Amino acid sequence: MDYRKLTVLSLSVAVLVVAAVRRPTPVAADGDLTSVNAGLKSAGALAFGPDGVLFVGDSMGGAVVALQTDDRTPASAPVNVQGIDEKIAALVGVMPSDLLINDVAVNPISRNVYVSAARGRGPDASPLVVRVDGSGKLTLLKLDSLKHESVNLSDVPDGNTSGRQNPRTQTITDMAYVNGNLMIAGMSNEEWSSALRSVPYPFKTASKGTQLQIWHSSHGRYETQAPVRTFVPYTIDNKQYVLAAYTCTPLVKIPVSDLKAGAQVKGVTIADLGAGNQPIDMVPYTKDGHEYILIANSSFGVVKLHADNMGQYKPIDSPTVVPDKAGAPYDKITSVTNVRHLTQFDASRAVVLTSGGGGGFAPPTGPFNIQTIALP
Amino acid sequence: MVRFTCLAVVLALGTIATAQSVSIQLEGGVFRVVGASTGTLVVYAGASDVPPLAGKATVESGAIVFRPSYPLAPGVRYRAVFTPPRGAAIEKTFDGPARRTTPTTHVERVYPSADVLPSNQLRLYIYFSGPMSRGEAEQRIHVLDAAGKIVPRVFLPGQELWDPDNRRLTMTFDPGRIKRDLVSNRAMGPPIGEGKRYTLAIDREWHDANGVPMTEEFRKTFRGGPAVRQPPDPKTWKIVSPAAGSHAPLVVAFGRPMNYTLLQRMLKVVGPHGEVAGAVDVGRNEVEWRFTPQQPWTAGRYRLVVDNGLEDLAGNKIGQPFDIDVFDRVTDHITTTTSSIPFEIRVAR
Repeated sequence: MDYRKLTVLSLSVAVLVVAAVRRPTPVAADGDLTSVNAGLKSAGALAFGPDGVLFVGDSMGGAVVALQTDDRTPASAPVNVQGIDEKIAALVGVMPSDLLINDVAVNPISRNVYVSAARGRGPDASPLVVRVDGSGKLTLLKLDSLKHESVNLSDVPDGNTSGRQNPRTQTITDMAYVNGNLMIAGMSNEEWSSALRSVPYPFKTASKGTQLQIWHSSHGRYETQAPVRTFVPYTIDNKQYVLAAYTCTPLVKIPVSDLKAGAQVKGVTIADLGAGNQPIDMVPYTKDGHEYILIANSSFGVVKLHADNMGQYKPIDSPTVVPDKAGAPYDKITSVTNVRHLTQFDASRAVVLTSGGGGGFAPPTGPFNIQTIALP
Repeated sequence: MVRFTCLAVVLALGTIATAQSVSIQLEGGVFRVVGASTGTLVVYAGASDVPPLAGKATVESGAIVFRPSYPLAPGVRYRAVFTPPRGAAIEKTFDGPARRTTPTTHVERVYPSADVLPSNQLRLYIYFSGPMSRGEAEQRIHVLDAAGKIVPRVFLPGQELWDPDNRRLTMTFDPGRIKRDLVSNRAMGPPIGEGKRYTLAIDREWHDANGVPMTEEFRKTFRGGPAVRQPPDPKTWKIVSPAAGSHAPLVVAFGRPMNYTLLQRMLKVVGPHGEVAGAVDVGRNEVEWRFTPQQPWTAGRYRLVVDNGLEDLAGNKIGQPFDIDVFDRVTDHITTTTSSIPFEIRVAR
């Protein structure tokens, strides 16, 4: 059959903007918002700053990128998506098993949920950041057209002589924007360190911020350095603190005023979240005139810590035998299970990313769901 | 730089063909409508309730073409749906590229390499022959007791610390169990019991970066030794200096196993003319560090400069125990960053 063109009808493209990702390039502190590729090698920990700025932790690139999302339309619709892993995987064309979700954050202005992920499980995995709105629509962030700035945190000497990449990395475990500074907790894949870094934002050229060491004591007798797994800014008796949960599970409070360059800071242990467990995320909130901190754990599920008298709790500083937990009292929350990420949605709600199974000492399995829940 | 521009999934443009038959083809990772140039082409890479595949649709040489933003992936079934301006939609499914099935990777080595590990051993470094998949470590790495039973809750959960090549994985023994007097330590004791026998078992089923299992499992037996609480002291190290004019290695013996990865970069040799270039070799179960210079040694005074962050197997740093017993009045944490050990290179007699 002869194929002939008869009529030109139209030229209209309905554009569903989804994403643009540049292949990895070294990230340098550039100090201003420019329309160049964000240069992410990986997309891990997320935190929102002022005016719709989304900080993306890039552990593989040794950097943090601040993305100007331009997502500043106030909204309050809850976000609920079943099978978010399957939907993102379909968007970027991989099996759900080849998608790794790394973190979840809520834009405090638009209440849209942002998800960081990796397309693939190998070293060539592509970083992704996906926005999910109240209607359940997914939008892949177009990284190479978003204004951004970045700070290179890498100050690591290269001990590698094999011609391969520097094997030393600093996994960014959590970030928070506090009083004009981005605080960054990390964990090295080589040495045991407890670095907590504070970088002024907007980033200044070549400024890697200040760094300090975090210590804690075990019942007053032993002092050790401890990597921070998750932390939140918190005010106790009109004084600003950071509440930090270590990988070895003590929950400590550290006055922000102590966080000075080069300092060796020892946090006051106010709770120990127990054996064989690791804290994942924390959300402080007030309900019915009382203060609480909701904590998601790898093995213990979600707990609600009573925080009314945080300033008065006696530090865990005596070598007394404790059964399973210690310090500030907390309740286990059973209404939501398999929580892999937890973040604040608004004053009365939180967003959780839940898995179908796994967790604790087994990898979480899909399907993964995003749910907006009432703070208990 | 490779740029992925991910734009349109729905496209309506172009011309109407007089084709009697219209088909959808997949060639070179590009979806193409043959026989029609007007209508919409949408590609899905999952069940029907998922968003369309990210990509860009255009008209090229009168044909509707859809280029996915990312390369087609193994294991994915792609469903391309073409809807003409009039008439029924046409749908066709395609399989992504075949997944490799031939195993090629294996565990090359594990550090520490000794067969006795202190009960407060802090980390393991596992080296693979090729890039591996993330997210499986917790189900693929086991510590077995003498009866072959899995010892639970040995490692820190939820933390896979990889190098950028995904060829070296750092596993951390649960620090809550190692640190004296923490709840985990009191409730469960240290992860490794002194005098007990264990096997580190790494499953063959662990997928490499291509999703293919390894060629073989890995096993390493070890025994729990006493906890190491004293920090390493460079003053006790033994240095064997080679003769001037030779390429023989400088040999430093620590008297205890040290952290293999840190030995690669935390020691350096400084001579009369600055830092000496050379190659590092770590041997004898990480008890010994050997440094072979690029140029023959010249006579003179040298220093071995040690980064005080250098750790032994239990995470004790130079002059600083992993967990400091404040009853021992060691509350002033060391603040210097390096230590120096002088030695001399002499002309052989």
